Amino acid sequence: MKRWMSGAVVLGGSALVMLTVAAWTRPASEKQAKAAQIARGRDVVIQHDCGGCHGGGSDPSAKGWLAGATGPEMEFKIGPCAVDPTAKPCFTTRPKNITPDNTNGIGRFTERQIFNALRYGLRPEETPDGDITGTTPGKGNFPLHPHYLAPPMPWMAWRHMPDADLWAIAAYLKNGVKPNPNKVADSEGPPDFWVSEMTVEKIGPYPAKPFPTENEKQ
Amino acid sequence: MASEIIPVERAPGPAILRNESRAPHTVEVTITAEPTRLSLIPGKKTAGYAYNGRVPGPTLEVYEGDKVIVHFRNRLPEPSTIHWHGLHIPNAFDGSPLQLVPAGSDFDYIFTIEKGSAGTYWYHPHPHNTGYQIAKGLFGPLIVRARNDPLRGIPEKVIVLSDNRFHPDGSLDFADPESLQGGIDFENGRECAHIFVNGELMPTIAIRPGEVQRWRVINASAARVFRLAIPGQKLLHVGSDGGLFEHPVEVSDILVSNSERVELLVKGTGAPGSATVLQTLPYDRYSPHTRPEDWDKTRDILKLQYAREPVRKPVLIPASLRAVPAIDTSLSVRTRVFTLQQGFINGKLHDMNRVDETGKLGDVEIWQIENIVGMDHPFHLHGFQFQVIDRDGKPEPFRSWKDTINVPKHSTVRIVLRFTDFAGKWMYHCHILDHEDHGMMGVFELK
Repeated sequence: MKRWMSGAVVLGGSALVMLTVAAWTRPASEKQAKAAQIARGRDVVIQHDCGGCHGGGSDPSAKGWLAGATGPEMEFKIGPCAVDPTAKPCFTTRPKNITPDNTNGIGRFTERQIFNALRYGLRPEETPDGDITGTTPGKGNFPLHPHYLAPPMPWMAWRHMPDADLWAIAAYLKNGVKPNPNKVADSEGPPDFWVSEMTVEKIGPYPAKPFPTENEKQ
Repeated sequence: MASEIIPVERAPGPAILRNESRAPHTVEVTITAEPTRLSLIPGKKTAGYAYNGRVPGPTLEVYEGDKVIVHFRNRLPEPSTIHWHGLHIPNAFDGSPLQLVPAGSDFDYIFTIEKGSAGTYWYHPHPHNTGYQIAKGLFGPLIVRARNDPLRGIPEKVIVLSDNRFHPDGSLDFADPESLQGGIDFENGRECAHIFVNGELMPTIAIRPGEVQRWRVINASAARVFRLAIPGQKLLHVGSDGGLFEHPVEVSDILVSNSERVELLVKGTGAPGSATVLQTLPYDRYSPHTRPEDWDKTRDILKLQYAREPVRKPVLIPASLRAVPAIDTSLSVRTRVFTLQQGFINGKLHDMNRVDETGKLGDVEIWQIENIVGMDHPFHLHGFQFQVIDRDGKPEPFRSWKDTINVPKHSTVRIVLRFTDFAGKWMYHCHILDHEDHGMMGVFELK
């Protein structure tokens, strides 16, 4: 899988400088391609309602665009307590700040880590930056102890987007959005990090079974 | 002599390694690591490993300027090393995973103790399964003394803290990595319910009313962070990883993260014949996902028994201890950024064959260590003591020497380092042993 991105890991304080230098020295056609990719990423982000949970709805000009939960009304209760507030177990999950803020957002994750989050549901904080070639824990760079994004993040559906669209989302989030410093508290969850919920039996294989399956017709 | 009224002490501290050399300023010892059956919990025998048959291993006691020769005999069924945690010594004798001593082999560690490095250190194995070998019983104290110690004459106690987990038959319990407990251990590190002080459960230390004791505390546990306190009593914090501060600091409790050391002065303020306890208070180092159910409970870990007879003469505690010269941050030639994530550093898992960072001998550097995840990670660099500049921008209130710094969840710590000597490949890593062993480690090559 050849990608536009070389996979260079650019970190911390030097990230901005190096990105700026890279943009400045890049040939015009490459710059145009990057701009087109970011524009495509913006379209996909709006169409898939990322802002519906992460802030701003489908309006990139709205306050708090993609900056994550700003209050309890944006939190989710996971477990039986979603229906009965006293029922257990009960976990609170909070949409993260997905603007490129270095401290509170996704600024220090690479585009590849964001791609891996969307394709495999792996939390970038807890997954090394590398190409993943399979979904068996411990093989093909897939972590032995995978850490999945907390529900209700619908990555199980979005992982079926074409590679180019997932890379475009990553490019837009990293380069097309201004950093917002909004700090979101960590989500809670059971200690197995949803591992038992994220098996192929429960979420289906990637890629999906060929058309037509037993529910479909040609 | 008042020996008849001092209660029996069950934690006199580890034995001292016997010096085999008669040469001046030379300490020559033999340390053998071998499988042993240990009495750790009541009524059970535990198959473990030990240095010279003891857990903790015997104390290596040296003076600043001493030449040290350690004949290490690895009689384990697997490769091992001895890492001299915190000592500034030539890279070849660091005992890192690059310098494995094969099963059944011997290796001599030879180094000279740096002037000004008096303090409390420890030694432990550092192969690729450090957590396993330390849990089996391989760890011991290392005390570097100064001839002009400002606290000489004050009685000392070495307090080695560890924890462990057992099957009902007394054998050590290491969770299957595929199990739920294995997953939790991977997250939190192997934090266990049985807390040991010098290899004993809830031992007793004797103190006389009015006495002052100097406690050298070493956290040798894989993942448990201790927040030590004695109820209703202040402690005097006098030293850290690399030795004494300039002045004592009064605290009501003290955090000791994994592999860290603290030196405390404990005042015997209790009544004759009374008793109190050393406790570890709750400390939330966990991510909300894997916080143990009893994380917010206080645990008693040591009984402090007062003798009936008070000391006759009050003890004078010096207001000034020693000079801690500052490393001048304005001389720093670069700032390196280390991003700590869950189980890896700067997005990478450890690779023995890769050099992650390269530095130059003679340079002063600032290291900015950013923890971007929701649990604490204690960051350790081999071979060098450093000074903390600030934590989340808040300047460090006083100077001290550190080789391990706990970086709390979602926070940034800046430290300053001076690389005067000792070229080679030095490890930096998270000292939660499960994280270290799973690859939360990098190689810093000094040329």
